[in-house]
Amino acid sequence: MAERGKRMVIGSADELWKGSTRRGFLKMLGIGGTIVMLPGVFEACDALQPMTAPGSTTGGSGAVQLDLSNDFGILNYAYALEQLEAAFYTAVAGSSAFSSFNAEQKEVFQDLQNHEVIHREFFKAALGSHAIGALALNTATVSASLASTATILKTAEAFEDLGVSAYNGAGKYLTDPTYLTLAGKIVSVEARHAAAIRDMRDAMGVTGGDAAGTRFAGDTVVAPSGPYAGLDVKLEPSVVLSRVAATGFVSTPVSVVNTPSKQGTPDQGPPSPTP
Amino acid sequence: MDNTTTILGDVDPEVGQRLVSRREAIMRGATAGSSVALGLAMASAPVAFAALARDAFGQSTPATVQSVIDFALVLEIFEKEFYSAVLGVSSSSAQNAAFATVRAAAAAVPGAVAALQQIQKHEAEHVAFLTANGAKNTLNLTADSFDFTGGQGSGTGPFARATTELPFLLLVAQGAEDTGVRAYKGQAPNLQSNTVVLEAALRIHSVEARHASKIRRMRRMTGAPAVVKYSGTISGGGVAAAGADNISSPPAGAVTALNLIYAGEDNVMQGGVDVSKLPNLPSGAGTAAATEAFDEPLTRAQVVAIVQPFFKVAIS
Repeated sequence: MAERGKRMVIGSADELWKGSTRRGFLKMLGIGGTIVMLPGVFEACDALQPMTAPGSTTGGSGAVQLDLSNDFGILNYAYALEQLEAAFYTAVAGSSAFSSFNAEQKEVFQDLQNHEVIHREFFKAALGSHAIGALALNTATVSASLASTATILKTAEAFEDLGVSAYNGAGKYLTDPTYLTLAGKIVSVEARHAAAIRDMRDAMGVTGGDAAGTRFAGDTVVAPSGPYAGLDVKLEPSVVLSRVAATGFVSTPVSVVNTPSKQGTPDQGPPSPTP
Repeated sequence: MDNTTTILGDVDPEVGQRLVSRREAIMRGATAGSSVALGLAMASAPVAFAALARDAFGQSTPATVQSVIDFALVLEIFEKEFYSAVLGVSSSSAQNAAFATVRAAAAAVPGAVAALQQIQKHEAEHVAFLTANGAKNTLNLTADSFDFTGGQGSGTGPFARATTELPFLLLVAQGAEDTGVRAYKGQAPNLQSNTVVLEAALRIHSVEARHASKIRRMRRMTGAPAVVKYSGTISGGGVAAAGADNISSPPAGAVTALNLIYAGEDNVMQGGVDVSKLPNLPSGAGTAAATEAFDEPLTRAQVVAIVQPFFKVAIS
C-alpha cells in the first residue's frame, strides 16, 4: 500500500484535538502508518483529569451517557444531535456573516434556526425527566465555522446530512410506533434542509463530487449504483457519534452504552470531510 | 427468486410453522423473551399467551409487510412514469408526446432538466429496488396505465395544464413528492417488525423529501409565493400550503386535490405538546415555523384518494 510509508508527528496534546490531525490519526491507525508522539503530548496527561478540548466551556463535568438499549436512549441520541444543530444555527443568526447574507440565505438560516430549536425543545419537553443535560460547545470550533458564508454553508450541510444519516439508521431501534412516527416527521424535514443547503452551495459553484444541478440529492448522498441504488444516507449511532466527535464542536463528553444491533442495511454516509 | 438475496428472504415465509414450533419450544422451557418468562413464572396465562404471540411474530406477518411494499411500488411506478413522460423517455410515445410543450419550457430554465433527470433516476431506482426485494406489481401497471391530467383516463382532468405550463407542472411535481413523503411516513409503523424493510423505506422516504424540497425551491425561484420556503419545508396546511398563487385560475379539481395533499400539515400538536408554544424559541418562530418543523403522515386510504384520479385502473 502506497501510504504505508507515511508517518504522522504529533507534537502536543492540543494537536490531537484539531479536526485534521484527528482524522489523520484515525486514518493512520487504519492503514498501518506510523504515528510519532513527541514527549510534549504527554505533559498535559494526568490520569485523574478528564481530557478537555482547548477553549472548551466545561472542565469535563456534565458528561453525557446515552443508553441506546431503549427508546428514551434513542430519543436522547436524537436530542443530542438537535442540540448541536440548534446551537450552531443560533450562533449563525448572531454572527457577523449573517448580516451580509442575501435574502434567500437569511430566510433559509432563519428557518433552520427556528426548526432545529423547535426540535430541540420538543425532545426536551417530550423526554422530561429522562432527558440528558445540555451539551456544551467548543467555542473555538464554533467561531471557526462562522468565519464566512462558505464555512457556514459547509457546516450546515455536514450537520443536516449527518442528521438524516442518524435518523435513518436509528429508526429501526425505536420500538414504540408513536416515537417512530415522531422521528419520521422530523427526518423528512432534515432531508428538506439538507437538500436546500446542498442546492444553495450547488448554485455557488460547489460540486463536491456531484454533477452540477443535482447536489440537492446528489450521487454522494443517494446511492447511484448497487443493490441500494436510490436510497439515502444511513449510519449507525456509533458512527454518527464518531463523526460528531471528529468535528470538535462538542466539548461535553458523550459516551454510549448498550450499542444496539438489529438487521438493517449497510452504512452509507455522506462525504467526510464535507466538500 | 433466490430468497437469500432479497431482504425479505430474512423473513421466514413459513411463519405459521415457525409459530407452532416456537410456541412448543417455549412451552417446553426453551429461552423465551423476558415478558414471556415473567408471564409463565406468574402462572398468568393471558400475559404468557399475549407475550408468546409477540415473540413468535417478532418479524411481522409477511402479509402486512408485503402489502406495504406493493403499495409503495404502485406509488413509485406512478412517479417514475410521470417524470419519464415529462422528460420524454417514457416507453409510451403517447405519454412523451403529451408533455412535449412543457418539456421545451423546462429546457429553457437552467438546471431544471438536470434536476428532473436526477429525480426520475431515483424513482426508477426505487421501482427497481422494491421489485428486486419482493414487491409485486399486482395491477400490472405500465406507462400507459396513467392519466397525468388527473382525469382517471379521460385525458381532460384538472391537471391538464401541467403538460403545457411549467409552473403548473412544478406544482404537480411538488404535490407528487410531498404525497410520497407522507405516504411512506404513514406506513413506517406497519414495517416495524421487519427492520430491514423499515430501514430501506426510511431511506427512500428521505430521498423523496429531498426531491420535494428542490421542487419547492425551483418554484419559489420562478415566481411561486413566499409561503413556498427556500428551506424546502411545508408551511401551514391545506391548499394554502401548496403555494399555488402563481397559478392563474386553478381548476376546482386541482384545488380539491391540493387540499387533500396538504390536509393536516398545519398540525402543531406533537406527542401532546403544542410545539408553537415551546420555550426558548427564536422571536420569529411562531405557528408557521411550528408547522414547518414537522411533516405529517397520511393514511393509505388518504393517499389512494389523492392519486386514484391519475390511474386508469382502480387502486386500493
